[in-house]
Parts: sequence; C-alpha cells; structure tokens
Amino acid sequence: MRKLWHIFRLMVQGERKALLRGLALSILVLIMGVSLLGLSGWFIVAASAAGLIGTGAVFDVFRPSAMVRFLAIGRTATRYGERILTHDATLRALAKLRVTLLAALSTRSHDRLIRLRGAQALNRIVADVDALDGVPLRLFLPLIAGGMTQLLALVVLSWLVDWRVAVVIFATFTCGGLAVVLWGIRQARQPSRRAESAAQAFRSRFIDLVTSRGDLTVYGQLPDQVAACQVAETRRQAAATTTDLIERQAGAGLMVISALAAGAALWIGGGLAEAGEITPARAAIGFFAALALMETVAPLRRSVAEMGRMIGAARRVTELTDVPEQPERRVAPSGPVSLRFDAVTFGRGTAAPVLKDFTLSVEPGEWVALKGPSGVGKSTVLLLAAGALVPAEGRVCLDDLDVADFSDGATTLVGQRAALVQDSLADNLRLAAPETSDAELWAALDAVALRAVVEAKGGLEAQLGPRGAGLSGGEARRLVLARAVLRKPSVLLLDEPTEGLDTATADQVLAGLRRMLPDSAVLMAAHRAEEQGAADRIVTLGA
Amino acid sequence: MLKTLLSGQQRAIKTASYLTALSALLWLPQAAFVAGVFSRLLTGEGGVGVATGAVAFLAFAAVRLVLNYLAEGLLFRAGQAIVTQTRQEILTREARTHGVSPLGGPGALAALAGEKLDALLPYITRYAPAQTRVMTVPFAILALAFWQSWAVGVVFLIAAPLIPVFMALVGYAAQEASERQMKEIGSLGDLLVDRLAALADIRLLGAAPRLIGQFEQAADDLRARTMAVLRIAFLSSTVLELFAALGVAMVAVWVGFSLLGELSWGAYGGGITPWGGIFLLLLAPDYFQPLRDLSTAWHDKAAGLAVAGELATWKAHEAEALMGTGEKVAPLSGSADIHLQGLTVQRGSRSIAYPEAHIPAGARVALSGPSGSGKTTLLRLIAGLERPASGNVQVAGQVLGEDIADAWRARLGWMPQAPMFMGRSLRHNIAFGAPVSADLIDEAALKLVLDALPKGDLTVLGETGGGLSGGEARRVMLARALAAKPDVVLADEPTADLDRETADRVTEALLALAERGATLIVATHDARLIAKMDQVIEVAPERSVTGPQGQEADHA
Repeated sequence: MRKLWHIFRLMVQGERKALLRGLALSILVLIMGVSLLGLSGWFIVAASAAGLIGTGAVFDVFRPSAMVRFLAIGRTATRYGERILTHDATLRALAKLRVTLLAALSTRSHDRLIRLRGAQALNRIVADVDALDGVPLRLFLPLIAGGMTQLLALVVLSWLVDWRVAVVIFATFTCGGLAVVLWGIRQARQPSRRAESAAQAFRSRFIDLVTSRGDLTVYGQLPDQVAACQVAETRRQAAATTTDLIERQAGAGLMVISALAAGAALWIGGGLAEAGEITPARAAIGFFAALALMETVAPLRRSVAEMGRMIGAARRVTELTDVPEQPERRVAPSGPVSLRFDAVTFGRGTAAPVLKDFTLSVEPGEWVALKGPSGVGKSTVLLLAAGALVPAEGRVCLDDLDVADFSDGATTLVGQRAALVQDSLADNLRLAAPETSDAELWAALDAVALRAVVEAKGGLEAQLGPRGAGLSGGEARRLVLARAVLRKPSVLLLDEPTEGLDTATADQVLAGLRRMLPDSAVLMAAHRAEEQGAADRIVTLGA
Repeated sequence: MLKTLLSGQQRAIKTASYLTALSALLWLPQAAFVAGVFSRLLTGEGGVGVATGAVAFLAFAAVRLVLNYLAEGLLFRAGQAIVTQTRQEILTREARTHGVSPLGGPGALAALAGEKLDALLPYITRYAPAQTRVMTVPFAILALAFWQSWAVGVVFLIAAPLIPVFMALVGYAAQEASERQMKEIGSLGDLLVDRLAALADIRLLGAAPRLIGQFEQAADDLRARTMAVLRIAFLSSTVLELFAALGVAMVAVWVGFSLLGELSWGAYGGGITPWGGIFLLLLAPDYFQPLRDLSTAWHDKAAGLAVAGELATWKAHEAEALMGTGEKVAPLSGSADIHLQGLTVQRGSRSIAYPEAHIPAGARVALSGPSGSGKTTLLRLIAGLERPASGNVQVAGQVLGEDIADAWRARLGWMPQAPMFMGRSLRHNIAFGAPVSADLIDEAALKLVLDALPKGDLTVLGETGGGLSGGEARRVMLARALAAKPDVVLADEPTADLDRETADRVTEALLALAERGATLIVATHDARLIAKMDQVIEVAPERSVTGPQGQEADHA
C-alpha cells in the first residue's frame, strides 16, 4: 500500500491541478447523484401527501422540480468533465512515467545496460505502467471522493431525516465497504500478482520464440519453447480465475452492503414515520439517498482484483525509478583535448584484471592504434576512455579532468556493434547530432565512401529495418563512422573501424576520417595493417 | 470475425445473458414493495408494512445478487476460454511458420497475443448480456408504465429510440479511433524493442536524451489516441445519460404534479395513486439503464472489432509453413550426402536459381557470392527452414520434406549470422538444458569469457548478445553448434566482423570438426576462409530465370 501511495504521489506531482479538480468534480458528481435521488423521492412522496390532504394548491412544485432538472443535467455534465479531467491527467502521468522509466534505464551502468533485454524492459515500460492507471482512477480518487461524500451525507441526512438513519447508512457503507475491500485485497493480492507475472513471462517467452524460431527449429527446441509459453499462459489463467472469483465475491459483498444500507434506511425510516416521528417524505429521502450512495463503493470492486497487479507493478517501477541522483556533470569539451590513462587497473568478475597499470596519452590530432591478441582488453580500454567503465585504480582523464565527470558523449565511441535503429538513414545519422544539415550529412557520407551506397538506396530518406536491417555489415559500420564524424568529436574512439571493408575502401575511410577531424585525439583498437598504418603510434597490449 | 471468436462459448454467454436480464427484471417486484411501504405510510391503507417491505426488498436483493454472481462467473470463464484459445492459436501458428508477419516485429506480435487479446474480454463479458437486457427490461417497464399512466409510457416511448440511433452514429467513430489506438500500441512496442537493443551504444554517443525525446513523442501519441477513444466513449455516454436524466426528470415532474392534483391528464380514471407514482419513479432510471449499458458495451465492441480486425489480418497472411515440427527426434540415418537439384526460390518479384551441386559427407564447402545473392537462403533451404519454389534438396538419399525434416535437423549444427540469445541463462542458450562440458568450453575458447561474466554461464545476456563482444557471441554460437555433435555444420558468415585472430580461431574450430568427419558448409565473403575449403559453390546474383530452372546452373 505504501508503494502505491508513493506511485500515486509521483503521478500527482506533474498533474496536481488537474487531478485535484478531477477529485472535486468526482465528489460533486456523487453529491449531485445523492441529492437528485433523495430530492426526487422526497418530492414524489411529499407531493402525494399534499395531494391527499388537499393542500396541493399551496405546495411549491416549481422549485423542487426545477432543482430535479438542474441536478439531472448538472450531474451528467459534471461527470463528463470529471472523466475527461481524471483520465487525461492519469494518461499524461502514465506517459511521463514511461519516459522516466526509460530515462532511468538509460542511466544504468554500461555493463548492465548491454545485457538489458528488450522484452523485459518492454514489460516494465508498457505492461507495468499500464497496470498503474488504476491507482488514481480506481483506487485513490474513488476512495477519497467516496469517503468525503459519505461524511457529508452523514451530516446532511442527520439534519434532513434523522440521526439514526444517517448513522446506520454511514456505518454500513464505511465499515462494511472497507471490510469487504480490505478482505478482497488481502485475498486477491497473491493471485493477481501471479497472474501479472505469468502474463509477463508469456510475453518474454513468446518474443524469444518469434525472434529465435529458426535456431530453435534446427536444434529441435521449438516444442519446448511453445510449451514454456503455454506453461506461463496456464499459470496466468489459473491465477486470473482465482482473482476473478475473489473479485466477484467482493462485488457481491459490496452489493450486500448496499442492499443492507437501503433496506435498513427503509426499515428504520419507515418505522420512524409510522411512529409519527418524521414524515414519510423525510423517510423517503433516507431510502433514496442510500440507493444513490451505492455509487461511492461500487468502483472499489475493480481495485480489489487489480491490487496485486498494481502493487507488483508499483514495486518494480519504484525500484527502477529509484536511481541515485545523477551528479551534475560537465558539458563535453568542444576544443582540442588530450586523452590520458594514468596507471589504470581494471578487471571483471573472478577473472584476473584485464588491464594493469596502464598508462597512455593521446594528444589532439594524434592517432594511436592499440594492437594485441583478442581478449587482451582493447575494447576495455576504449570503454574506459568513453567513461562507460570506471577504473578500479588510476585515472582516465580528458586534459586534467576525470572523463567520468563529463556528461555522456564527451568522447565518441564507435563500437563493434553498429547501433542503428528502425528509422530513415538521415534520422540514424542525426541521432547524435540533431542540428545537422543535409549537406553536412552528405559530406560525412563522402568521408566514409558511402555516398554511392546511400544514393543507390534512394537517398537520405531511405528507411532502415529493425536494428538497421537492410545494410550489409560493412555499410552499417561505415554509417556509424559517418555518424561519429558529424559529432566533430574532440576524442574519437574506434573499435576496429574498418572490419569487413576491403583494403581500398578501408584506406579511403581512414583518410576521410583524418581529413574531417584534423584536431581530434583518436584512439583505435586496430587489427588490420591498414588501420595500424593509419596511426601515428602503435601501442601493443599484453606484450 | 468477432462472431467466429465467440462461437465456441455461445451457450455459456447466452445463459449468462438471460441470468443478468432476469436479475434486472427482479428490480420490478423489489420496487413494487418499496412503493408499497411508502404508499401505506402515506395513506394508512393498502400497500405493505415497513417490516414486510424491508424484508422483501432484501430478499429480492439477495436473489438478484446470486443471479449476477453466477452470470459473471459464466461470462468470465467464457471470456478466458476464448482469449486463451486464441492465444494458443497464435502461439502454435507462429511456431509453425517462418517469415515476417504483416503486423510487424515480435513486439507487435506479442502485443497482439498479450494485451490486445485481453481487450476482447470486456466485449465478451458485456455486449451480449447488455443486448439481452435491452430486449427485455425496457419492454417490461414500458408495459408497466402504460398500465399506470399513458403519459409516462409516451415519454419512455419517445426517449428510447433516440438512444440506439445515436449509438450507431457514435459506433463508427469509436471503431475508427480504437483501430488507430491499437495500431499505436503495436508500434510503440516495436519502437521500444528496437531502441532498447541499441540503448547502451546510443548512450555512448550522448544521444540518449534525443532517443528519450523521440520516445516521449511516441508515448504522448499513444496517450492522445487513447484519449480520443475515451472522449468518444465519454461523450456518447454523457449524451445518453442526458436523455435518461431528462426522461427521468420528466417522469418525476409529471408524477409530482399528478399527485398534487395539478394535472388531470395522463393517467386513467381517478389519476395516479401514490403507489403508482413512486413505483414509476423507481422504474424510470432502470428503463434507461440497459440502453446505457449497451452503449458502453458498444465501445467494448468497437475495441473488440479493432482487435478482431488485426487477428483477421494476421490470419489471412499466408506465412510459409514450417517443414516438420521443430521437435527433437532421432537423427536421420544414412550418409550425410547433400544434393541440390534445380533449386529456385521466389523473393518478391525476383527469383533466385541455385546451381546443381553435390556435397558429399565430410566435404568442406564455401558458398560464395556478393551480399544479397541468396547464400543465407541456401543455408536455410538445406536446413529445411525454407521451402524451394521448385527443385529440391536431397539429404542422405531422400528428398528433404515434412517427414524427414526434423530427423535431418537432428544431425545439423547451425551458426546464424546474427547471434540471438534467449532470455535464459547462457548455459541454456548453449546446450538447451543439457550440461555444458569442460571440453566444449575449451573447444570454443569460452573459459575466459565465462569468467568475466557476473554469474558465469548462468548470466542472462541481451538479445543480440549484449555483454559479449561480437567475437565472443560468435564463439557461443559455435559452442552451441558443437554441443549438438553435428554431422553437418551450416555456418552463415562465421568470421564476418571478427578480427583476424578471432576469425582464425573460429575457422580452426570449424576445421577441427571437419577433421572428425563432419560436413562443413559456410556462406562467406572471407577469402582466407574460402581458401581452406575443398569446394566453392558460387551463388550468382540476380539470376533471372527464363528457361527451365537449373539449365544455366554452373558447377563449382
């Protein structure tokens, strides 16, 4: 519950005004509904009483009947406003929450981020956030609005009808309603949570099935994966059935409460009228108001079934959004800088340190190649220079400042995996340099000898498929190099930049890079003779 | 489409609908008792006593409650059955086909099988019952109204038909809005799956804020679409509520005036009795309630139709059926000889024809040719993952087809060009549950890789092998192929994007396998790798086939 309150407050933050207005309107809707039914009941009974005793001519019919019409229309309009306001505010809060989640994910450490699984993150950002729309709409807003209306009804009914009738109605709804809801939440919490996690498991497994079905087929694992999906679905169905049973029981409980309240109002009010303590018309107010007050508890029924799902989602979302405050970081340097490694040691897991006491400096305009056998730590050096990894000992600096103190992108790393997305070629290029003109894009493409390829594909607006599908490995490599050029980086880090290119193209690309970026400090993990030949200096790792 | 979906559960839904209608109808005697209580309080005669009335009220409430409870249970189970069955259908069909779905990527497919199918539930559980109630309750109340007062009857009669007319108008707009919303849900899923895979690298470029900005836009679009659907729903229900409210208010005013004796028309004989007045007032809201329920359900139907539409698109797409079942069976017996005979495949409008070739068991063969010439497709044809347009692949002396595909694949090792990792431990990704032997780890040179991972071989990696370098991911694919103890290894660009040394290691491991008698078929550009093969099959680009297939085939 505390988690839910936390999420509720998080959602309220940006939408305070709209949600408060929505709450005010929800209370107004409930009050108008109760007034409408109470007034109508009173009106009919009082009118027939007046007609019976022949005082119909002096009975004021116009004010009550005008009031009935006003309440009827007013309630309808108010309800419309309330729904629009609360739903819009909630959906806005949810959209914001999704963005916050993605932003929080993107601050994860590099090592965790590269192992991030799309399907899982999708579950967080889509399904979990979707589950939270009930937090304001079906839990807190109805709870607060219902409670306020009940209190108000207690006061007004004591005055208009009789305190005994008012207290019985109030007590039945609040105590009974709360008891039912709390019981339902307790019962449904586990199964509802299980249903949600099973649904998420189904989604992850199904996505795996679709993405890897070729592999699964060859290795004879297809039926196993289908079975794994089915297990998740069976679990979900079982848990959902239990949840539904409890929800129905809670719903029945709430109906019992409502019927008891109305029945008691009829019984006690009728008895009082029989005894002549109040008029039948006032007894009618009590009964009709009790009928209308049903609306204060009815919406809580769904929150019973959703509670476990909401709590689970709230927990996961809170965990994710609960990232330590990012320290203020320096803006990326714009002029020439030098890159320095000062006695850096770095290791992962139980393996021996990849890097020990590593010292190196790269001056502006200088190209340094790192060579050495695979696994010796060339990529690690580049990731350290990019600030994606933090050294266990020693410092990695741009001039004299720690690289980790700068914001992301202070250095530009072109890794082995070409990070391309489903979008146009131009948008992929502009991802890191949004303000670039088409002419600059073409210049960068020229530098990496990609103009002809792009023209053949139909120009800058040609669409790439998911993960940049549609380009060969070499083309994708050159496209991300062009993207790096557009950033005019002070420090450029290249991980085997010309892998997959023939010698002529590789030379052309390296020369193009050098021409475009005369003042950059360039550090590259280099295997090929062409790459090593392009460097001013070669550093051998593991030697 | 919606109807077909529901056909299996028609009876349960019908029964439940009758139960809810019966429950709604029981409000009539309940109201009669309440009116009776007030009638006796007012006139001192007729009607019923307070205690009797209150007990009867509660008793009917109890019966209605039980009926509703049962109906809801039936509807829920029917809905679950339909959703689960459809989900199964999507699951089994997606497992039996290959190729791209018209709906989009795995994100969109998962959205269809997941939350979109769940969006059918409100339609299943609400629409038919609301329809049944509309066919019964208003007519019963109308009859009672005319019995008590023709004026009230006329009010009801005029107000009611406006509602369905209005509903139909709104329905079209609602369905269109729902369809747009459903599409947006699918594309948001695909956008996220795509972007998240590249997030680590994108952040290194300092482009994370821009990416987040793009996502913010997409999330806001989805919100706007959802809100558009809700706006229509709210507006239409507001209008209906207005009709209902005005109807009820008119009834109340007429009843009030009549009881006062101000109006002498509208009822029969001596005007309306207090009982009749109170009774009519209690019934008035429930005359409109079923119509309002139906209008809500109308929106559920709009959402249901949007989902059904997507399902229909998905069903109508004739995806290529998988050869065999993809299960583990005993390996095919016989020598692992492969004959390619007059193979062609259709790629959109163009057709690719492959040369005739014989690949004897234990041969080392390179498939070479420029990108896009169909090397990967040929590997898929040999693995039985795709069907040729004409010609056939013969393996161990039999034509590769339904009956032997699984047994043939049990003899294969498979290294795709783009490594994909499932959301399970690395160990499971290598051996699918079987233990990973130390020899295997040695052979694929994975020891250091495993040591550097936070949980060793129990680590869960990113989809494309995030957490490993390109070479390491390739080596895992190699280990997986080795773990299958294959007679034939099909490797797609096993050395692409690898540094020379890693490439050499992968090559060595593959050659070592060939030493032990396995056939090696690699699709590759790598001249060094090609040089180590015994045979090269040239896959030429853009063979436009004019004559009988296979005639222009060239042998390596």
